[in-house]
Amino acid sequence: MAEPGQARIGEIVETESARFVAESFELHRPPALGQLVYAPGDGSTCLYAVVCYGTTASPDPGRRAVRRSTDEVFDQAVYDEHPQLELMLRTEFTARLVGYVDATRVYHYLPPQPPALHYSVYACEADQVARFTERLTYLRSLLDLPEIAPEQLLAAHIREVYRLRGQDRDWLSRAAREVAGLLKSDYERLMTVLYGIEP
Amino acid sequence: MPLDIDALYRQAQDMIRDLPEAGVDPQLDEAQRYLCRADPQLLQQKLLARERAMAKIPWLVAAPVDTLAGVYPAPPPFDSYTVVAADGSPIPPDRHSPVRYFVVNFGHVEITYGARPHAEIASELQLSYTEEDLYFDPQDKRIPIEGTRLGIHMSVEEMVALRGAARDAQPPAVALRDGSLILWQLQSRDEDRDLCAAYLERFLSALEALRQQAIPVASYVSYPGSHDVANSLRLMLCDYPDGCRRCPQATDGQRLCRFIGTLVDRQLFQGLLSPGERSDVFESQSAILSQYGAHRVQFFYLDVGGEIARVEAPLWVMEDPEMRDAVHGVVYDQCQRSAQYPPYPAVLIEAHEAAVISTGDRQVVEEMMARLLASKGYPYLRSAKDHSKRSRGV
Repeated sequence: MAEPGQARIGEIVETESARFVAESFELHRPPALGQLVYAPGDGSTCLYAVVCYGTTASPDPGRRAVRRSTDEVFDQAVYDEHPQLELMLRTEFTARLVGYVDATRVYHYLPPQPPALHYSVYACEADQVARFTERLTYLRSLLDLPEIAPEQLLAAHIREVYRLRGQDRDWLSRAAREVAGLLKSDYERLMTVLYGIEP
Repeated sequence: MPLDIDALYRQAQDMIRDLPEAGVDPQLDEAQRYLCRADPQLLQQKLLARERAMAKIPWLVAAPVDTLAGVYPAPPPFDSYTVVAADGSPIPPDRHSPVRYFVVNFGHVEITYGARPHAEIASELQLSYTEEDLYFDPQDKRIPIEGTRLGIHMSVEEMVALRGAARDAQPPAVALRDGSLILWQLQSRDEDRDLCAAYLERFLSALEALRQQAIPVASYVSYPGSHDVANSLRLMLCDYPDGCRRCPQATDGQRLCRFIGTLVDRQLFQGLLSPGERSDVFESQSAILSQYGAHRVQFFYLDVGGEIARVEAPLWVMEDPEMRDAVHGVVYDQCQRSAQYPPYPAVLIEAHEAAVISTGDRQVVEEMMARLLASKGYPYLRSAKDHSKRSRGV
């Protein structure tokens, strides 16, 4: 069940056990890479996911974007010159399920069922983020993703959480140590994350 | 069975062996020069003479409204304008269905450009299943709407949809459609006269409503195959009254006439027009147009930058210089906003996309209808021949 008053940021258009894809309500702006979001599950359960990919394209696979700008008309002006364009595009984002929260506990493993198709997606607020990320065991489920290089996603996610936790240095250090443990056999990847989360 | 590509290749080599090398044909040059110096009054005289003699002209000719080879640049673009288009796509009646029906999906688009850009795209599906929908004169003649008649039905209903889409358009506005405004199929002796009259009336009512609203309507034909103007040149050149078959091809004029008989109008105007320029306005002499009244169709050719297109509009649009220029300007502007080459009016692309029914959608419709009909005890059985094509076994 969603917190009252929270704005919906998307609607689920694909759902499966480990991930879902949602259409963003704001064209060109999916939620930030690494952001923690949730979708309602059964009863009062919230299914948490980390945004790992975003794209804007025509829903029709046969229609590819073609060059429309000129020397005089470019960027936002392209949309003013072709008002039908916005109707023909949609922005989608993919989010990896990393756990769920019910009335009593936080769980850092995949929920029994993925969220329902056409249900809403919400951005997690600061208190929800703080509670879910208190323990770091969920970070390991972000290591093996087809959508994006895991070190990029980990860095983006940790930056996001650090910000929403009010620049919690203590948490940042714990996250860095957790990542070091996960990537101890891959020095290059580890350094990419650590450079990416330097405050 | 896989195609015998080797055999096809051998036959194709025979096909191209006798083709002349492509290049600029000097006779095309001559034909274009003739167009430029042709006297429109001579053409009017010949047309009148034929009319008086009740002599049938074997080909469709174009009557010039003014001159023949005039060239008119695109008017300056509007600061803001609205363009409306509608298109339709059918799922024709399936003779295998236990209950007869057909589906038409109409798409319509309205785009406003300028200080307050805006667009609306919508589609509307119509399921036709009542006797009145499926047959013309269901009680008596019971003529099924299918095949060519479904094509006529689509042309007429697309015009009605265009009129509906343009209802709230704020001027300056232009209503645009794809294909010709001339319902030449209604001339066919194979079609019932009452059916043709009914469809024509519905079509003309929609045009009349647009006229009342003072919204110019035009149609756009890409890569036109028409040769009305070429035929006019032949009429002017012709000095052998005993018919083309017996023409001795003895004079330059007769030989030029024979050559022009192989041309289409867009070849004549290619090179004469530059991007944005239109030709003179011509009136089509199609027989059906005698029943169009104030909506008689006139046309001009337009170089859209990549191809010569044919733009048709009713008399009341072409006679009004402001409306005619609005059509000219908007069509050219739409082509410039096209993201493809050669260009095609952006609004017509979207109207088509909004109307088109994909193969996947067709299958969904067929399955859904089969389930619904089966639920009432009407199984969707296919003929043995059709079944043999669908499930092919060894």
